[in-house]
Formats: sequence, structure tokens, C-alpha cells
Amino acid sequence: MMRHVPVLVIGALAVFLMPAAASAQPAAPGAEEPQVRVDAVAPPDVGRLWLVGGVAFATTRGDCQTCEEVEFPYRHSSGVVGNFGWHVNRRADLGGEIFWIPVDTPQGQIKVTHLDAVVQFRPWASHGFFLKTGAGMALIRNWVDVIGPSAENSKALSVVIGGGWEFRPTPRLGMQVLAAQHVSAIGDLATGDPTVPEVPDVVGNFWSLGVAIVIR
Amino acid sequence: MEFGAASVNIETERDGDRARLAGRPVRGCWSSPSSPVVRGGDAGCRERVLGSARDCGVDMAALSRAQCRIGAIVLALAGSSATAAGQSVQLSLQPLDPQPQRPAFTLAPGAAEAPVASVGDQPAPAWYTDGRACEGCPRRRVGRSLFQLTMVNVLYGLGNLARGQVTARVTPKTWWANMEQGWVWDLDDFTVNQFGHPYQGSNYFNTGRSNGLNFYESAALTAFGSSTWEYFGETNHASLNDFINTTLGGIALGEAFHRAAWLIRDTHATGSGRLWREIGATILDPLTGYNRFMSGDASAVTDKPPDMVPSALGAVTSLGVLWRGSDTNAFSATGQPFLEVDLLYGDLEAGRTRVPYDAMSTRLRFGGGGGISEARVRGRLLGQPLNDGRLQLSVLQSYGYEKNDAYATGSQSFEVAIGGAHDFSSQSKLRVVGWGGLTVLGAIDSLPLGVEEVPEEEPEDGGAGQGVSEGPRFYDYGPGANFGAVTQFTRGGRPIAQFNYEARHIYSLDGVRVNHFLQKTRFDLLVPLKGRLGIGAAAEYFSRKSYYQDPDRTVKGYSYPQVRAYLTWSQR
Repeated sequence: MMRHVPVLVIGALAVFLMPAAASAQPAAPGAEEPQVRVDAVAPPDVGRLWLVGGVAFATTRGDCQTCEEVEFPYRHSSGVVGNFGWHVNRRADLGGEIFWIPVDTPQGQIKVTHLDAVVQFRPWASHGFFLKTGAGMALIRNWVDVIGPSAENSKALSVVIGGGWEFRPTPRLGMQVLAAQHVSAIGDLATGDPTVPEVPDVVGNFWSLGVAIVIR
Repeated sequence: MEFGAASVNIETERDGDRARLAGRPVRGCWSSPSSPVVRGGDAGCRERVLGSARDCGVDMAALSRAQCRIGAIVLALAGSSATAAGQSVQLSLQPLDPQPQRPAFTLAPGAAEAPVASVGDQPAPAWYTDGRACEGCPRRRVGRSLFQLTMVNVLYGLGNLARGQVTARVTPKTWWANMEQGWVWDLDDFTVNQFGHPYQGSNYFNTGRSNGLNFYESAALTAFGSSTWEYFGETNHASLNDFINTTLGGIALGEAFHRAAWLIRDTHATGSGRLWREIGATILDPLTGYNRFMSGDASAVTDKPPDMVPSALGAVTSLGVLWRGSDTNAFSATGQPFLEVDLLYGDLEAGRTRVPYDAMSTRLRFGGGGGISEARVRGRLLGQPLNDGRLQLSVLQSYGYEKNDAYATGSQSFEVAIGGAHDFSSQSKLRVVGWGGLTVLGAIDSLPLGVEEVPEEEPEDGGAGQGVSEGPRFYDYGPGANFGAVTQFTRGGRPIAQFNYEARHIYSLDGVRVNHFLQKTRFDLLVPLKGRLGIGAAAEYFSRKSYYQDPDRTVKGYSYPQVRAYLTWSQR
């Protein structure tokens, strides 16, 4: 959380530089002109498809940020992770992710499904290391602490960050190990308990380690 | 499109030095009858046209005068008044290569990854063996970009530490505590979260861009920088809103700054003029500037990267006064001065493209109710003509920040836009564009029920350190949706009348339990005066409704009109 930005300096310069630069630039000769780069002429070594399917072991914790001091428990379970999308280039993939995890508790089963748009980046194309991030929506049935007698469904803002290593013995088929953190921000959690109708500022964190098959 | 066979020589003088750049596919004339242009552009103020400019269909003298003016503005801004004169470079203009960055060799299958000394029977060009995607592109250095990204975090951390912020006193214990806790919402100031963090994210993004990474790669790098900062850069728990604002806002601002900085650079120039341009660009995009100076690219004479040359460019600067009304008064007696700058980069209305931000619009407004009262970047990610080019479909990324004494809002959004134009005559044109999209995270000022005014902040006791907000926070965060439309009537390429409508919904996840619905309508009339100067008037209407989720389902509304009068200076 940065505290200081020289906004006025940047802004003032931008104001003066932008129109100046605008007039300093003759237009390029037409939008249709092909501008070929090395990346564009290089044949891809694999297809455009990007599919990932696997399992993950996850630790979950629901947290009420504005509640009184309460120890929210960590719970452990296993789930399913999948990606689908296409190559942007040899280092970047763009697509969607599904992460589904059920958690059994004494009060009932919690089910969480994260649906995210993600981008995956391999800094070194010749190595398997990758980073991943995305955002989307989480669908939640019950919560990490079930409050009240009945199941509740919630929708939440979802964010994911992660990384891992991909092994590809063949160009099209491989395997990856991955670590990720999913977060789902519910806001107010409506409960079935009339004495606690709503729990404010609820956020869930899901740390996961998994393995998956990769098809390209 | 054919390239003219004419050769044009321009001779300029600077400090008595003379240099000749001949035989380079650097600049030339293009014989498209509809839009003859000259590419490149040194700002030498005593250029003499030696060759046959007429063969190009270009008024070289006019071009030279325009460049002199622009050069003077940039140089004056950079604090130099002496460097505008005395440039001596003799250039021999050659026909422009229609595909200037295509390597003059054939790549063997699978040979794209590692730079090679030669491919097939032909030697690879030096820039390719140097690890560059084009002659003027930066060298690709992934490890260096990750290192510099870490150094950006270290510098921000040291800056916070120097200002006495307790949140900067990080240790491995605080790192572990942050990882144990996971993500939370934070309580920082609106401007810090909605403008400061995106700016910090733009630094991460441009560590990637300045080291040869493409847009999407740099986007992932931005997320990496943001998450590492949140976990390891501060003692505060990692903030979800910061992560989203830093990453998405950083991508939008980063690419905008990166491209704007490339507009300022003149990679064919030499001498002090070149230096000041590089310095000006460095102020906008510090990471790229730093890397260019360190690598020597800042003085190398090459073409610009083709992706950094827009297909069209325009700017509109408006200077005027606005009068804002309220629920009780039609308008306040005191006007508020404002300065608004719109940069139109590329052609958002046409073209099939998969190059992110090859077209974008940006707006920056000073005054009118705040220091920086509006900042907006809208960049095209995908463009696709439909219906034989009569319609244009675009996927856009948007960053928005607006703060004045009536409301404050900020957002990170993705939109789909569809639009088309109708020509009434060769001079008159009507353009209509509509869009709709999702707001990943929006922020809007808000007060709990029963609170009518934001209470005055208690003076800081110095416990947390300068600038550290400990709440409460009087604005809400949440996802939502947005949609809008713009209709513009132009004559001779200049807008005469324009109607805008924008609506945004924010579902509050953090803050007051409320659904916010904002609407903004604006109608502009513009009259050209002389040359690029014009005069305009605008009528606006703002409406805001907040649907509280209290037992009574309270609805609060607020609306006000606003009028503006302004002078415009248009450059297209």
C-alpha cells in the first residue's frame, strides 16, 4: 500500500507532453500495413489449444475481517483444478480456470467453485516454470464456518495467483505441479441463523498444491 | 499501397556538426494518394528541403514548421531553451520498406526461440542475434525484468521506511504472518488505492516492456510484482483491492505510459535534442528510460519498434470553466477552472487487430473540483470489423479515476464495444458507438446510513507513520457492470456535436451494504474558430442512486447538473 506518488508531477508532464507528442508524430502509413515481427513469423511448436486438468490438496480458511477476535479454523480437503484456453505465444496462455473444492465439516459440506479468467506466463520458454493470475467469480454453498441450520448459497469476487512447473516429455502432452492461492470475497454472508442474519466482510482464502495433465 | 520512388534529402544544421545517414530504411515518402505521410521526424529547426518533396506529395516546409513548434514545446518543458537551434544532420530519404521489421531471412522451423548467428543460407541481422524482436526493440531479458521488478519493490519499501511508516518495517515474521492470514480489504485513502497503486503497477508492467516482454507477459509480471509487494513489501496483511488495482490499473497505465513515451522519443535524432526527448520519455516511463540509458539504446539511431508507431494520432486540449449545481441550487456562482487533455492513439473505429493497445484513448483532467479530477485509459485488446467493415467490434480494457467535490469513483473494467459511422457527405459524418462490460473492481465514495458528512480526520499520532490510514474508510469496493454510448457528428474531421451517456453499477462487497448506480450524460457543442482553435460548451447531468440493503431497503438519490465553457485546441 504505497503512500506517496508524485501524481502532480506526472500528471502535469503528461498534460504537456501528450499533445506535444501527438503533433510530433506523423501517422504510420495505414492501419492495414502488416507489421511483422520475429514472433509472428516463427512457427509455433505446438497447437493453439491449452487444456489442463488435475487434482489439488487445499487448505481453506474463512475470515470475517470486521468481526470481533475469533479464531477461524484452517480446514483441509482436496479438489479439482482445470484450465482451458489458447496460446497467445510461446510464453503466454490466456483462458479460463475452474477450481472446485468440497470441504466436509461437522455442520455439513461446504462447496466452493471458482471460475476465473486467467493468464499464464512462462518467463523462460525452454523451462517449465510458470506464473499464473486471474480473476472472476466464486460460487459458494455454505461457508467455511456454517452458521445456522440451513445451507446458504453465495456469489463472491474471486482472484487467483499461482505458479508451478510444467514437464513436457512430448510437445503436446505434459504434466505440471502447481501451487495457487484462490481468494473469494463474499461481502456479507447471509446465514440461516435468525440471531446472526449476516456476517459482514467475509473473505475466504484457499491455498492449494496440485498436479495436473497438460494438453497443448 | 506502393512506395514512391522519389528520394528526398533533408539537411539540417546543429552546432556545425554534420552527419549523413544514407541508405537506411528510416524515413521516406509513401505514395498512397489518400494519406501521404512521412514517417519519422527529427525536430531540427532549420531543415532545408533539398530534394523533391513534391514527389512525395508532402509539404515538407509545413512539416518542418510543425516539428519546430513541437520540438520547442518539448524542449521548453524539459527546461532547455538552447538546444532547439543549430542542428546539422543531412539525411538522405529512402523509400520506406513496407515491412521494415521483417527479417531479411527465413526462419527454419523451430528456430524462433534462441537467437542464432545465421539461419538457412543467410546471416541473421545483428538486432536479431542481439535478442531483439526488431531493430529498435529492447533486448529480451526476462531475468533482468524479474530482478528490476524486485528492485522496484525494494525502492518503494525504502521510500516508505524513510518516511517513517511502520508498515515498511518488514521482517520474515511479517512475511509469514501475511501468508498465514491471506487476503483482506484495506483502509487506505481513495487516491492512494485508486491512483497510487495503479501507478506503482505501471512500474512493474514496464520492467517487462522495457526488457522486451510483450503485453501479456508483462501483465503476468505486474501481477507477480503486485502480489510480492502485498505479501513481502509491507507489514499490513495482503490487500485484495490493492492487488486488483495494482495489477489491472498497472497494466492499463503502464501500456499507456509506455506508448506515450515512445511518441516523445525520436530514435533518428542525435545530439541534445535527442537527449531531451529521451529524458522527457523517461519521466513518463521511468523503467524503459532507465534501461535505454543503461543499454545505450537511448543514443542508438534506429527505427522505432513498429508496434509503437500508431496508425493515427490526435489530441484535444480543453481549457475552461465549469459550474456545478446541486440538489438545491441550479448552479454555484463560482466557476471552477479545468484543463482537460484527450489523447487519441491509433484508430479505435477500424481495423482487425490482435495487438493490445494499438488503439487507445486517454483523458486527464486537472481542476474542476480536484487536483487531478479525472484520469481514464481505454485500450483496445482485440478489434474486428463486421458486416464488410461497416461495423467495428472491439474488446477494451478500461481504467477510470474520477474525483471531484460531488463524488469519487474509480474502476478496473473490461468492455465490448460495437460502433459504426454514416457519411452524410464527404465532409459530414455521424459516428455511433455503444458498449457494455464488467467492472472487476469499482470504488465509490459512500456514507453509512445516518451519517451525512465525512467526519474530519483526527490528526495522526505518528503511530502508524505518515500516510498510513487506519480507517474508517468512507468508500465502498465491489464488482459490477457498466454500459454507455457516444454519438458524434463531425465535419471536416472535427467534432461539431457530441452526446455521451455512461452508466455504472457497483455492488458493494466491502464497505456500506449498498448497490450504487451512477449515470452521466453530457452534450457538447463545438465551433471551430481559427486553425486548430475552437470554442465549446457542454451541458452535463449526473445522477447517483444508492440502494441500501438495510431492513427498510432505503434508497438515496443525488443528482446535479453541470455546465462548461471552454476553448479547445485540436491536433489530428
